[in-house]
Amino acid sequence: MLEIKGLSAGYNGNDVVRDVSFHVEEREAVMIIGSNGAGKTTLFRAICGLLPASAGEAWFTGANIAAMPAQRIVRRGVGFVPAERHLFPRMSVLEHLHLGAYPGRPDPETMAMVYSLFPRLAERRSQRAGTLSGGEQQMLAVGRALMSRPRLLVLDEPTTGLSPKLAHEAYEALDALRRKGLTLLVAEQQVPLAMAFCDRGYVLENGLIRLEGTSAELAADPRVRTAYLGVA
Amino acid sequence: MTAYVLDGIVLGLQFGLLAAGLTLVYGLGGALNLAYGQMAVISAMVVTFAIDAGIPALPAVGIGLVTGAALGLFFDLTILRPVYRRQGEARVLLSLLLTLGVAFIVDGYLSWRYPFRGLTLHIGGGPVNILGVPMRRGSLVASAITIVAFASLFLFFRRTALGRAVRSVIEDEEGARLVGVDPHLMLRLILVLSGGLAALVAVTRAMVTPVTVTGGFEITVFALIVTVVGGLGSFSGALLAGILLGIINSIAASYIGTFLSLIILLVAAALTIVIRPSGLLGVRE
Repeated sequence: MLEIKGLSAGYNGNDVVRDVSFHVEEREAVMIIGSNGAGKTTLFRAICGLLPASAGEAWFTGANIAAMPAQRIVRRGVGFVPAERHLFPRMSVLEHLHLGAYPGRPDPETMAMVYSLFPRLAERRSQRAGTLSGGEQQMLAVGRALMSRPRLLVLDEPTTGLSPKLAHEAYEALDALRRKGLTLLVAEQQVPLAMAFCDRGYVLENGLIRLEGTSAELAADPRVRTAYLGVA
Repeated sequence: MTAYVLDGIVLGLQFGLLAAGLTLVYGLGGALNLAYGQMAVISAMVVTFAIDAGIPALPAVGIGLVTGAALGLFFDLTILRPVYRRQGEARVLLSLLLTLGVAFIVDGYLSWRYPFRGLTLHIGGGPVNILGVPMRRGSLVASAITIVAFASLFLFFRRTALGRAVRSVIEDEEGARLVGVDPHLMLRLILVLSGGLAALVAVTRAMVTPVTVTGGFEITVFALIVTVVGGLGSFSGALLAGILLGIINSIAASYIGTFLSLIILLVAAALTIVIRPSGLLGVRE
């Protein structure tokens, strides 16, 4: 479904991620793990069109999206939930969900699905996003992305700033989405959580893909165990 | 006293609409348009020429509004191009310099080519009593048009998908792109709207007092003061500050003198900046 070939991207001519290749198949859940500063955010921003790629290709359902701006990539079916969330502070929850469906009208079924996934959003539908708690803001960022009815949902560190309990709930919500047939690509620092949830993964270090494998293979790898799972 | 307050509200509504056009462009694109008053004056001049050419007043006003909107589009496609390529402070500064240059050229050309020209639109009929104060029909029609314009803008921003899309860019440009909104397209739309508003204010002003060929800078200065007091980028702030300053201006002009009213407005703006740096309804950084 998504195939990244030799993608490089960065800021002011300095590539942060270099020659990255990986793929995500339909209905898979794939994780990109790596420490802070490994380039996960840069990689995701390039895939979603917020940052122009300096080299390489990104094929999504038969089209190269590497040179497309974000606003066009969304309409092709890639929903992005950035780590910084990028909500609209003075707009209500309901307005976010309406905007998520832009330029069309919100689909009532999708709206009902978002509300049943995150009942808190239904309770706070007229509240401004800026006044929501961190967990609620994360739900809203996911809900807004879902309103465009994406085929692939890309999440950059969905558990940032969440308590362990909320982080666990976030992954339960993602699991529910996955059972509905959504394909997921997740960047995560909380590796054990992501590993329990994803089928496969890639390890990103200093802007390069160092390792790849199924979650079980990665969990058994001694390098992963010491660096990301805290096992000596 | 009631008379001054009512006069102030008439003026203030127009101030507010004027500032709304300026503040939206700033909120959305981070650019300040100092040729804003000249946009209004050019539109007013087009209306006078159209009327001179024998076109009835109403279609002539329509031509004026289209001129304003077209000027907005022209600005977006030409002098604002290099402005958009810069970020933050450099963007504001370049927009100030370029639009100020355009303002000087337009002002110079118009006052050389068409000195002493101006637009006055007469609304027939005698005065109407409002709260015991006889008000000129022109003022009432102008205010009614301005209120309708404000209400339509408010509905547009709150109730339509396009209006919400514009607000989303003001709130968070990256977030807007992530839901499929093209920020450049929204900015172009807002410049067209802003030009149209400048023309609308010029036309409604002309129902109350002549809009002269040299009046551009005064219009820009009024709009800037109201924008600063209301809060840069705040639409409802523009309305509130417009009415407030309109009333202050009207009372100051009658008790102290017209020559001092602009200074009093500037003092009011300076005080606002000291007490509330982000304006009445502006977002605090």
